[in-house]
Amino acid sequence: MLRGVLDLCLLAVVVDEPAYGYEMTRRLRERGLSTVGEGSIYPLLGRLEREGLVATHRAASDGGPPRKYYRTSTSGRRALAEGVQAWREVRGEVDSVLAAIEAEVA
Amino acid sequence: MTAFGGGVSTAFVEECRQEWKRLGVPDGLAEEMAAELESDLAEAEADGVSAAELLGESDPRRFAATWARERGLVSEPSPQKRRRRVWPWVVLAVFLLVVGGTLALSTFGAGSVSSHHSHPLVVAPPPRVAVPNVVGLEACRASRKLLAGGFIVLHVPRSRCHAVVVAQRPAAGTVIQRLKPRNMVKLRLRRARG
Repeated sequence: MLRGVLDLCLLAVVVDEPAYGYEMTRRLRERGLSTVGEGSIYPLLGRLEREGLVATHRAASDGGPPRKYYRTSTSGRRALAEGVQAWREVRGEVDSVLAAIEAEVA
Repeated sequence: MTAFGGGVSTAFVEECRQEWKRLGVPDGLAEEMAAELESDLAEAEADGVSAAELLGESDPRRFAATWARERGLVSEPSPQKRRRRVWPWVVLAVFLLVVGGTLALSTFGAGSVSSHHSHPLVVAPPPRVAVPNVVGLEACRASRKLLAGGFIVLHVPRSRCHAVVVAQRPAAGTVIQRLKPRNMVKLRLRRARG
């Protein structure tokens, strides 16, 4: 269900402050996205990294081992802006199709 | 009991390592991913989040392969990549002319064929020939030389006529048996200038 949108969510959670993989999962959860569904964030992070949409660096975490931090890059910000716009359009269209169904069920 | 205890997640990471090794992921990068996974799994576990929940996948090999592929660490022969390759291997020559003594009606056949009885076709053993040296030649000249040596040249694109042969396999002088389809001579061409 989240296919194609989850990468936007990942870009969104590290746009202001970098985070390591699990921290990103935690941020998603805190913002209400508790289920990533099938698959995991790691392959997506790999793709975002390959496409240059996130920048990475290693740094020590709080009292833990050094972690790999992800941060939305400049082109990632652009992709995020475009993606969010596209998502809002799609969401509106899907909503208008599904609204009728909701009415029938209710 | 948790589905993924510490030992189990360590085993998961270990299986990922093996899969990355198998796929030819460079050691440094494989280690980086393993370390990332290991510390995230440990932290998730402390949070009460199971590995299955975090990874959405219970098969380590499939997980490892997907991750490496998405990161672009597994070399897959994509058509785009192939086009960009500067030193393409071009398959040139194979097989042999089936002439003269190769496919021979036995000499005794001629004498003994009678009106009511025919001998079976006798195929002489394929002759063995040494592969000529064509390294340094332009593709079209190399192809002529191979033709002269009794090889059939399968394919030299016209556009590559002036490309220089920079390597050949098998090497010149290697004795191969003609008529064996597997005995191909492959040439590597350098793109012609201009």
